Amino acid sequence: MSAPRPGTDGLADARARIAHLRQVRRLDDAERAARDALSSWPGDAGLLCELAAVLLARERYTEALPAADAAVAAAPGDERGHRLRGLLLSMLDRHAEALSAAWTSVSIAPQEPVAGIAYARVLQRAGRLRDAAQAAGRVVTLAPSSADAHFLLADVAGDLGDVTTARRAYEETLRLDPEHAAARHDLAVLDARARRPGRALRGLIDAGRLAPAMTQVRSTVVAVLWQLSGRMRLWLVVATIAVLATAESALAARIVGGVVLLLTAGLGWWSLRGLPRGSWPVLVATLRTDRPLTLVYAVLAVCLLVLVAVVATGLGVLAILVWFALIALGLLTLVVGLARRRRQRTSER
Amino acid sequence: MTDDPLLTSLLAAVAAAPDDVPLRLHVAELLTTAHRPADALAHCSHVLALEPGNPAALTLLRRITGALTSGAPAAARTEPPTGPLPTPGFDWAKAEQQVADIRFTEPAPSDDAGSPPTEDFRAPERPTVRLSDVGGMDEVKQRLELAFLGPVRNPDMARQFGATARGGLLLYGPPGCGKTFIARAVAGELGAKFVEIGIADVLDMWVGRSERNLAEIFRTARRNAPCVLFLDEVDALGQKRSHLTHSGSLRNTVNQLLSEMDSATGANDGVFVLGATNHPWDLDSALRRPGRFDRMLLVLPPDPQARASILRHHLRERPVAELDVVKVVKATEHYSGADIAHVCDTAAERALAASMRSGTVQALTTRDLLAAAREVTPSTGPWFAAARNVALFGNTDGSYDDLAAYLKRHRNL
Repeated sequence: MSAPRPGTDGLADARARIAHLRQVRRLDDAERAARDALSSWPGDAGLLCELAAVLLARERYTEALPAADAAVAAAPGDERGHRLRGLLLSMLDRHAEALSAAWTSVSIAPQEPVAGIAYARVLQRAGRLRDAAQAAGRVVTLAPSSADAHFLLADVAGDLGDVTTARRAYEETLRLDPEHAAARHDLAVLDARARRPGRALRGLIDAGRLAPAMTQVRSTVVAVLWQLSGRMRLWLVVATIAVLATAESALAARIVGGVVLLLTAGLGWWSLRGLPRGSWPVLVATLRTDRPLTLVYAVLAVCLLVLVAVVATGLGVLAILVWFALIALGLLTLVVGLARRRRQRTSER
Repeated sequence: MTDDPLLTSLLAAVAAAPDDVPLRLHVAELLTTAHRPADALAHCSHVLALEPGNPAALTLLRRITGALTSGAPAAARTEPPTGPLPTPGFDWAKAEQQVADIRFTEPAPSDDAGSPPTEDFRAPERPTVRLSDVGGMDEVKQRLELAFLGPVRNPDMARQFGATARGGLLLYGPPGCGKTFIARAVAGELGAKFVEIGIADVLDMWVGRSERNLAEIFRTARRNAPCVLFLDEVDALGQKRSHLTHSGSLRNTVNQLLSEMDSATGANDGVFVLGATNHPWDLDSALRRPGRFDRMLLVLPPDPQARASILRHHLRERPVAELDVVKVVKATEHYSGADIAHVCDTAAERALAASMRSGTVQALTTRDLLAAAREVTPSTGPWFAAARNVALFGNTDGSYDDLAAYLKRHRNL
């Protein structure tokens, strides 16, 4: 049976075309198509919803809101208009109105998972994390085989500090959709917070390979490398105390220095074991994208060379140089951290 | 039996060597000429059963079915009909039985047979631009020559060196850097026709129509061979199927594209498929397999020489007082061709405003252009931010080595 020819229902054709263009991320074309279609069918709720959805995807919330308002006015019984309105109001930080709109959407279509997802997101953005978690749990019940539903639950649970639920939900998301890069990334963030840098880096490299253009992967890798450098500095502080304590005897300094070096190598291997093949060039290249971090690792390498010199010469006092280096690194980390936090605050404003 | 001694001897030869394809085709040809299409059909069917995609057999089949449907003169039959009188026209049931086991690798030729050729999806053009018309970008031209044009022009020599003229070429890079222009120039170099297709030409709400549109586009290209079929923003048409879980229709379009790419890039087909995308990393990996878009060419923002050409082009009809091209070229590093056009427009606007204020024509100066360059942010920035990540994480198979090398050269990696 052949499909009817386009043109027999121009309105439906236009709606479907816009939805397709939006789905393949041709947002310019989708917006143009939506506006063109609206000039022919100005009051059509479906087209207004499509335009609002396109503008939402383009992060032009203020422009999108009138379209969503018009869609709701044209078809007040249609769930989608309320849902879009709720999401847009939430993005504009008008949380009370957003919650009301999203609630209307869920009331109209209580069995619709997308309405539930939107409601949970609006709750999450409004800071009502417990309610958001409850709503996300209900979405999972409605659509247990939806990776998006589990991802939502994981995200909300993560914000709530319920790491166990978050981890389980991320793992379920990845079971349902092994190519879900965002879930892979967020699970790696949980690993990093749980002080498992090796696992975190592995997850991040996987996420980067799944979605190479996902820009936050690089910054998260950089954050994990900062975390690793912090551990290394801490370890070197302890190790240097041990070396300095035995500085009077050349043999003892040599032995302690050697043990420190061996333990450093062991700890490094332990932390980074299980990294996928080909990870090192990625890590080195990522390291080089952040100049202060490159400097930190270069200084740490010099510290290890000083310890090698202690082993070679038996001069335990050389370890004092490591102390100086670590103090300088501490100051550098402090300055960089403050500067970055300030920059982040400014960009958020 | 036949009275023609040549045919008689050839039929005997066919009986002795039933699988000799050229012989059977020759016999079928003679039978068609002798107004015996039904007999010719049997031989043609046999050939197609042996070699389903044989182009000569397919062409002959079109002729035979054309002859059959137009009604062969009864007098031309060598044996008088016996038994009940045949119904007028052609015995379709019998013919269908004869060709039932033929698997067509191309769209059914009966689409065209016996009827005027289908109208082309879009009238192909014949571009006159050549690669020499592309200002600068010597590296791109050189790589294009080595990776694509050379093997296409010298298929035998390429084969001896293990290279192949088959498969498509994917042009990728930041937006506004001349991918479409280069594709046109490739068609100009090959003396081929050029069909440009975007997502809007393919998408259709009706289930199956997008796939049919795509098939029709490729059929148009085949009909107009040699032809460069240029798929602009191919990532939209061939997006990763894992991203399209909610749209079966779009997934089917990707499948159709894969299938068309396989048939379009067959040897001697004369259809050269070029794709352009800003996001090659969003393409379904199946599209990058051998025989499809197995070659990639990075089209970067114009180099200094190209920037100078673009500048001169956009200023050629504007009043210019003095112009230090080198300075402006230096100030527009990483700017795309479209950005440079924007810079020229902005500078012209300033000069026009100044002219209107003073009442006399104030020609454009280097200062105007430099000020405009400061005002216009290069649109390639976000692309390079994503590209840096791709070079870091997505270059496991070396596909983006060119990109990584460029980023390293510019201290972005």
